[in-house]
Amino acid sequence: MANILTKTRKTFVRTFFSSSFNRDIVMLMIVSIAIGSSLASLVAMSANSYFSETISTLVGEYGEFDLLINVREEMKENGNVQIEKVIEQVFPGGKLKEGPTLNGLTSFLVGLPAQYKTKQTYETMDSIFGSVPGRSGISIMTEPRITLRAVPDGAKSTIIEQIMHIDGVLFAFRDGGSVTVIIQSLDKSSYVNEEIKKLLGQYHTIDIAFPVGGEPENSMRLGEQIANAIQEEKAAGYAQSVSVDSKSNDMVYMVSSMIEMKRFLTAFATKAKITPVTGVSFIIGDSIAFQGTAPNALITGVPLDATNILVKVTAVEGDGSAEGMVIQGDGMQVASSQGYRVINSVIGDPVGTATFQNPRNELGKALKETGDLVLQIPKIAQNAQNMAGVANNALNNYSGSITAVEQTLSSLASAGTTIQSATSGLANLDTSAIQLQLTNSSHAVGSLVNTLQIVRVLNPDVSSSVNELTATQQNLTNLQNTLGALDNVAADARQARSAIDNIVVNGNSMVANLRAFDVNGARQTLTEAGTGITQLQQFNTPLVAAQLQYLATAVPNLKDEEISRSIALMDQFIAGQVIPSQRIQIMTKSSITTEFAEPIISGVVGHNNFSLYTSAVGIIEPDPRGEVMVILTQVKAILAGMVSLIATIIFLTLDHTAVMTVIRRKRIVNKMPQAKGWKRMLQGIKNTFTVPECLYGMGIGALILTTTFVLSGGGIPYLPWIGVPFLGAAMGLLLANNSEKISPISVDEVTAGEALGLSFDEVMREIVIPNGRPGLLQTLNRRKMKFK
Amino acid sequence: MLIIKDLYKQFGSLIAVNGFNLSITTGETVVLMGPSGCGKSTAIRTINRLVEPDHGSIMLNNSNILAMDPDELREVRKRIGFVFQHFNLIGRLSALENVMLGLVMSGVKRENAKSKATESLIKVGLENHLNHKPDQLSGGQQQRVGIARALAYEPDIMLWDEPTASLDPILVREVLVVMEDLARYRASTMIVVTHELPFALRVADQIVLMDNGKIVEEGEPSQVFVNPVSDIGKKYKELIEYQMNTSAQSLAGKGQLI
Repeated sequence: MANILTKTRKTFVRTFFSSSFNRDIVMLMIVSIAIGSSLASLVAMSANSYFSETISTLVGEYGEFDLLINVREEMKENGNVQIEKVIEQVFPGGKLKEGPTLNGLTSFLVGLPAQYKTKQTYETMDSIFGSVPGRSGISIMTEPRITLRAVPDGAKSTIIEQIMHIDGVLFAFRDGGSVTVIIQSLDKSSYVNEEIKKLLGQYHTIDIAFPVGGEPENSMRLGEQIANAIQEEKAAGYAQSVSVDSKSNDMVYMVSSMIEMKRFLTAFATKAKITPVTGVSFIIGDSIAFQGTAPNALITGVPLDATNILVKVTAVEGDGSAEGMVIQGDGMQVASSQGYRVINSVIGDPVGTATFQNPRNELGKALKETGDLVLQIPKIAQNAQNMAGVANNALNNYSGSITAVEQTLSSLASAGTTIQSATSGLANLDTSAIQLQLTNSSHAVGSLVNTLQIVRVLNPDVSSSVNELTATQQNLTNLQNTLGALDNVAADARQARSAIDNIVVNGNSMVANLRAFDVNGARQTLTEAGTGITQLQQFNTPLVAAQLQYLATAVPNLKDEEISRSIALMDQFIAGQVIPSQRIQIMTKSSITTEFAEPIISGVVGHNNFSLYTSAVGIIEPDPRGEVMVILTQVKAILAGMVSLIATIIFLTLDHTAVMTVIRRKRIVNKMPQAKGWKRMLQGIKNTFTVPECLYGMGIGALILTTTFVLSGGGIPYLPWIGVPFLGAAMGLLLANNSEKISPISVDEVTAGEALGLSFDEVMREIVIPNGRPGLLQTLNRRKMKFK
Repeated sequence: MLIIKDLYKQFGSLIAVNGFNLSITTGETVVLMGPSGCGKSTAIRTINRLVEPDHGSIMLNNSNILAMDPDELREVRKRIGFVFQHFNLIGRLSALENVMLGLVMSGVKRENAKSKATESLIKVGLENHLNHKPDQLSGGQQQRVGIARALAYEPDIMLWDEPTASLDPILVREVLVVMEDLARYRASTMIVVTHELPFALRVADQIVLMDNGKIVEEGEPSQVFVNPVSDIGKKYKELIEYQMNTSAQSLAGKGQLI
């Protein structure tokens, strides 16, 4: 294989380079490419340099400066001095340049040493330069950077944190209302830009807009609830309320806290439930007076005084009854349930009766009960501790007891065995036959005795025999009784054995169950319980109880008037603050649609009177300087590309069309018979692309354009790199098909040269090229011509 | 000795030369005649392969020109002078340089080439126009430069492709005089394509009549024009008699008008 390649290469070199004209063409190509690419680079660099210089004059070189500080023109001298001082103290090694003055503001450009380009520095830049007199603004100019706009306040931290993980990001920080990302180098700018786009694309915000008048009272709290609700859905995965920035907007949080406090106070204000008399209706805001500490009932037409209880209607029910809040006096002081409308601080007509509910009293009672309970805690704890000790002892004895039981059961089993052996003989004895014989014998002896009794009458001598027989009969009876007792003993022994067996079996089962009990676990639990009880005992329960008692006493002392005045004060403060209430923003994954979120939000809000929109979590703001630089780079590439194109066209036209014409003429002179019909058309199309002059043109065009492009760093919009050789080939093809119009040659002269025996090289060198268009080829050819 | 056998050339659908056979001995002058477009010029151009024939053979002293490689062809071309209808001079070169061109390119030293070229130009009567560019010369002078250029090689064969066709009648004569001189006093073989009947009658050793790419009649002038067998031959006979106001027979024969 290597031999073949070597041979092929040698053959090619020998045949191709043996022609001096071919060598000239190669030389021409090299020179063309060198000139073309140099020219393209020169033009592009010149343009780039010119525009860059123009921009640099205004705002410095790209990346040279990091800050732009605007100072009022009349203060610029002092400002300059102060900025210099700050740089010297805080950023030693930094540089300062005074920029243009526009609209009465002088710009100062500050360049920071690399070691000071940190997140912390940029986030505190405002305060660092806060002492500059006449300062009207400070802008970040560090390049390369990317600025994100429209990032919801609450989402900034999350976005910054994630951006910091992108390769190529130096750091990211809050820059006023934006997020600014500082990139390590310009070549990473595109990558970082794409990654940030991807990141932003992963999320969106669901905006919940409420109609005017329907705003939630505490949108911040509601936003968190909605976010939690969405997050709890399996499909959502991530949700965060980003309506406000909890990390940077403390005032918003304070307002939120005050709203909650207001809600708390309102919950413990005395509620008046007013039932109207016939013909009376209430509207929210009505003032109703009741007799308070005043000694007499209210009288219509009399001015309201401080001893009266004044209730403000806060809600009106469907049945006409009203709910109100005590705004003067205290609900506990109400002496009469009869209420009177108050108009212009004058008591009007009676309007209804009211019942008052004081939540503070209920709370006080609850606190008192709790205080009492707390006082019992030490005693309860002591008892529990004791019980724990007892239980612990029981557990300690548990195993021993079980062993004892096992031993008892074993003894019982042995006893059963003994009883079994002891009574087994008795059990086998047939006492019934003996009993029968004894009975029969006894009956026989009795008969004999009766007989002898009779005989004794007859013969007193037999008395002794009668007595002996009677004694014998008695002995038989005794023996019979003894045998009966023996039977009973055997039966009792069998019952005892059975009972013992049952006890042993049941006892073993019980022991097995008792053995399964986790004594150690129970002991551990007891120990923990003991620890808990010990800790409980360490509570300062008297103090807690005292505090509870104090609260139980104090809460009812809180007067309704004080509550209502506090609420009024809070309302005044809250009204002066800007807190987003009409719109809640929830940042979540892009996959979470409004259709998915709507039922969840509706469940949290409690109604459907809201609109949902989605919006991006941020927009990449074009960096004017960066964009200009990118555009300049593109312009440079385009200029290089265009010059390359033009150079290629010029080279092809001036130098190569003559060659193509000669090739074409030679082909035509010896052209083959033409086909007919559609084949002719097909051949025509084929010839347009495959005839030698076209192949030559395409090859040369592709080579010159591609090489010039590459060397000059050219680029044409919408034309990928792979398209460049094709474009060059297309240009070559176009010129090849029009070569005779562009560079006509004298066929007669060429024919004459051939007839004289001139080689192709000589014909080209002496006839064609000198007569062709002036170009590089002609210049190169001139040195080798014999007839100049 | 030049032997052409079965020469065939087709341009597209047009068969320009079809079965052309010709045998010419050294020093012979052959005149190719026939109506315009009959294939005369194509036939003569195939001899030095200015036009590549599709097939056939052209044997020059036992060497087949059609089988020669480019180097051999260039060498053989130097032995075949060619005079074109449109002179085919190199416009940027002077008369002298036009003649020198072939010589210099074939390796003749410049001085020698110059000497030879000057000599050639003197032979054609252009000794006073050596440094004139073609556009400074008349048609006849240009053609004489062309002849001088062909002669400078001292070729074995001279091919003339209608050398007077582009000239007005007055200029024709000065060219024909040169041609006749060469025909008479040089030993080289000449193949002439021309419509000049008197010239053909005077100088031709052999007349070849062509029609539609084929040779329709060939032979000595006395044979072709006096007793023609082809239609073309008969027409030429009538033409001669008309133009000369005499019989063709009385005119036939080389050097009749000299």
